[in-house]
Amino acid sequence: MAKHKTDYVRYHIHTETANEIKRWPTRFRVKVKKAGLAKWLLKEVLEHGLGNRREVVLSRPCLYGVFSGPVGGFAPRPQHCVGCLRCTTEYPEMVSVTHNPERKKLGDSFFASSFIDALSYESLEGVIPVKGAGYRGKFGGEGWEGMWTDMSEIVRPTRDGIHGREFISTVVDIGYRPNYLQFDEEGHLVGAEPKLISIPLPVLFDVPPKNDQSEKAARIIAKAAAELETLAVLPITMICRIGLVGKHIVPLVKAGEEELLSNLGYIPDLVEMESWDAHLAESILRWYPESILSLRLTFPVREEILDYVQKGISTFHLLADYHGQDVEGNFVLDLIRETHKTLVEAGIRQEVTLVGSGGIITAEHIPKAILCGLDAAAVDTPVMAALQADFIGECKQREFSQFSLPAKLTIEWGVQRLMNLAAAWRDQLLEISGAMGLREIRRMRGEMGRAMFMKELEADAFAGVAGYE
Amino acid sequence: MSREPTNHELIVEKHTRNLRDGYHVWSHDKTDVERALGDYRWTGEMILGTYYQAEHGRPPDNGLEYRVGASGGGFDVLDFNWLPEEKWLAETEGVDVSISLNRRGKGREITIPIPIYGGGMSFGSISEQVMLARAIAAKKWSTFFSTGEGGYPSSLVPFKDHIITQVATGMFGVREETIQHAPIVEFKYAQGAKPGLGGHLLGDKATSSVAALRESVPWVSLFSPFPFHSVYSVEDHRKHVDWIKTTNPEALVSVKVSTPTDVDMVAVGSYFAGANIIHLDGSYGGTGAAPEIAKKNIAMPIEFAVPKVHKYLLGENIRDEVVLMASGGIRSADDIAKIVALGADGAVMGTSELVALGCTRCSNCERGRGCPFGLTTTDLLLSEFVSPEWGAERISNLYQSYEFQLKDILRKLGLSSIRELRGRKDLLVYRGNGRK
Ligand code: SF4
Ligand code: SF4
Repeated sequence: MAKHKTDYVRYHIHTETANEIKRWPTRFRVKVKKAGLAKWLLKEVLEHGLGNRREVVLSRPCLYGVFSGPVGGFAPRPQHCVGCLRCTTEYPEMVSVTHNPERKKLGDSFFASSFIDALSYESLEGVIPVKGAGYRGKFGGEGWEGMWTDMSEIVRPTRDGIHGREFISTVVDIGYRPNYLQFDEEGHLVGAEPKLISIPLPVLFDVPPKNDQSEKAARIIAKAAAELETLAVLPITMICRIGLVGKHIVPLVKAGEEELLSNLGYIPDLVEMESWDAHLAESILRWYPESILSLRLTFPVREEILDYVQKGISTFHLLADYHGQDVEGNFVLDLIRETHKTLVEAGIRQEVTLVGSGGIITAEHIPKAILCGLDAAAVDTPVMAALQADFIGECKQREFSQFSLPAKLTIEWGVQRLMNLAAAWRDQLLEISGAMGLREIRRMRGEMGRAMFMKELEADAFAGVAGYE
Repeated sequence: MSREPTNHELIVEKHTRNLRDGYHVWSHDKTDVERALGDYRWTGEMILGTYYQAEHGRPPDNGLEYRVGASGGGFDVLDFNWLPEEKWLAETEGVDVSISLNRRGKGREITIPIPIYGGGMSFGSISEQVMLARAIAAKKWSTFFSTGEGGYPSSLVPFKDHIITQVATGMFGVREETIQHAPIVEFKYAQGAKPGLGGHLLGDKATSSVAALRESVPWVSLFSPFPFHSVYSVEDHRKHVDWIKTTNPEALVSVKVSTPTDVDMVAVGSYFAGANIIHLDGSYGGTGAAPEIAKKNIAMPIEFAVPKVHKYLLGENIRDEVVLMASGGIRSADDIAKIVALGADGAVMGTSELVALGCTRCSNCERGRGCPFGLTTTDLLLSEFVSPEWGAERISNLYQSYEFQLKDILRKLGLSSIRELRGRKDLLVYRGNGRK
């Protein structure tokens, strides 16, 4: 039988442990009453002696090494505590284990410390957070919290089993795709042709927050994007200043920066305009006719998107603030749905690519945002959290948010953290799409029938309950 | 001449005594101490309240809020529409909380005296001691518990009349004789904690005895694929049911499914395939390890799925032919009564049984040697903290407390049977208006 030669290489993200470079406050505080411990030890020694019963005396309640330092319980090591509470159950008078309020202060009111916990776990090793004992959080809620994804009892994308054996594509396309192709009588293609690039993940990196557009952060994002074969949006001024090169680096250009276009040392896959400017658009297309042109628009984005499509733009980068809101306080979930619906009703959704940023901060938000109508998300604040940046106060407005990156930050470490994060998010995306029976993420876009919303479910379920209506 | 205890025995004895004392102290005089216990769904008070019930067989009278959690939705925003006191029934004694598990009008009649049975937790994911404790308690209450996937060790054979044998996608532990023994066979299509994702037993937990039952290799991880690879349709599912009925014509068949958007259609399909029990497992529950993303986001909570299915089955005129059991985040007697009022016949309990045995809901079940309290582990030393007799007593006490509370709730609603409560949403009150 003839052997088929193929250059197909399965997409792979290299993960590797990238330990924290800055010590964050521990999750738990462990306090031991020293006098109580001494008394208890004495009692144990008197009861069992120290001969061959030493093992009994020294048998401690903690399986995780909190009391296994050189002086045991006299100097607990709370960084190892996983909050099982066995020690305090066994010795309620002597040991107390409480949540550490300092840990809860990480992040801000939207990017809560629980998200930071998940993210730091993901960027540590690139694996999915798996735990026992069911769900521990609030019941539904606002925004993403009030949305569930569907599953199928009998449909699986393939029947090859799970855990890496079956193939689910996470590739998405960015650019212009005509609804149909047109040919003349001789069979030659006439009319618009597709102008697309494909990236293996529906995740891009957005520009770092204004206050932290340091050279290091830019290099980390650019290199991580190259490794992941995705895209990183960076200001053209920064790209030119530090000499970044690579088609995956998306220059963000604003009116008045046209002359910088000639300074780029490469042909980018995508060029992004900060806002609409006819002259800028023309200059970009003149310099880089092969590149896809994207326009940043701030939510809410309604009918005006149709005008930009008329002007020849097919890729839009929609922006909410870092808390996922528009100026009126509407949440990004509804905002995406609204824009998506506008395009569907105009019959051109297929021709347009929607990338979104703002308020998409954890793995589950990616499939949820895609179900609402995005093609891909360009992540912003999660990059900061993965790099162990401190959030200074509330980080809501893009222009004014303050982050502080750790002093020990290195490019190599930062890139690995982002790759680990991407791997963990990719695997979680596979879990969600596998459960839904979807073979490719492209089919997830706008599939509202496969999403469930708390408001609707609750109205259905609690109709007839006194006081509900 | 009595033999000197070994160090192993002394260590087990020391920690077991400490733990049992601790459960008592915590749920009694140390209830207001600040500690990292509990979460939005299972608050610290609810956990302590469950310890208390497991010790005394009655609800706590020390002010612990054991009835509802703080999740801000679902059960936690529902209350009962009590009758004025003068209309309450006089005695809890005349109140019936039994349910039938076969309403098809043919085949074996099984009635359980309380509207609950124990949900699937497999041998390997929990210790043999915990499994035995559940078995003894199930026998005492003439109810059942499910083996979960993977069969059961021979120590449980004396309890076979109270064991629901699970057939899941990996077919682990499924043998002709276990099916022939089983009064109820449960097909697990999906589970709420990880809907659509199959199962995974870590290599560390696949000890020789676990592996022997599963006919696998010790210390090697086992994956249960998703879904049943022989099922593409309701007709295929029907063949599954026929297979069980051929092997054991007397067995009742339960179909355990998760809660997708079309859960109502799934339920109808199961009915037409011949199921006696449709077991809906909502997304917020579960005891086994699962990806956090799945627990929180995939499939709908049980509070929403049950009324949807109940309504649909009513519309199809088949509601009285199937038994609808609900699980996935049902934590208390109040939750049981609420899910019945939303349309279920009864509830399947898992986590609350583990809490009765001392679980703090710390989520570390899969870490290192497994549960530090000896529950979800196969570690030889740790699993000895729970003796089957002690455990059975605790679970049994919890059931007793539930029974008492359920009867009390019915009495205050003017109902003499839990069967009258089914689908009576009008007997619930919504308390979530601040949130809506
Ligand atoms: S709570 Fe658990 S992990 Fe933390 S110190 Fe106590 S025994 Fe160790
Ligand atoms: S590890 Fe924690 S959550 Fe798991 S069973 Fe044990 S106590 Fe419960």
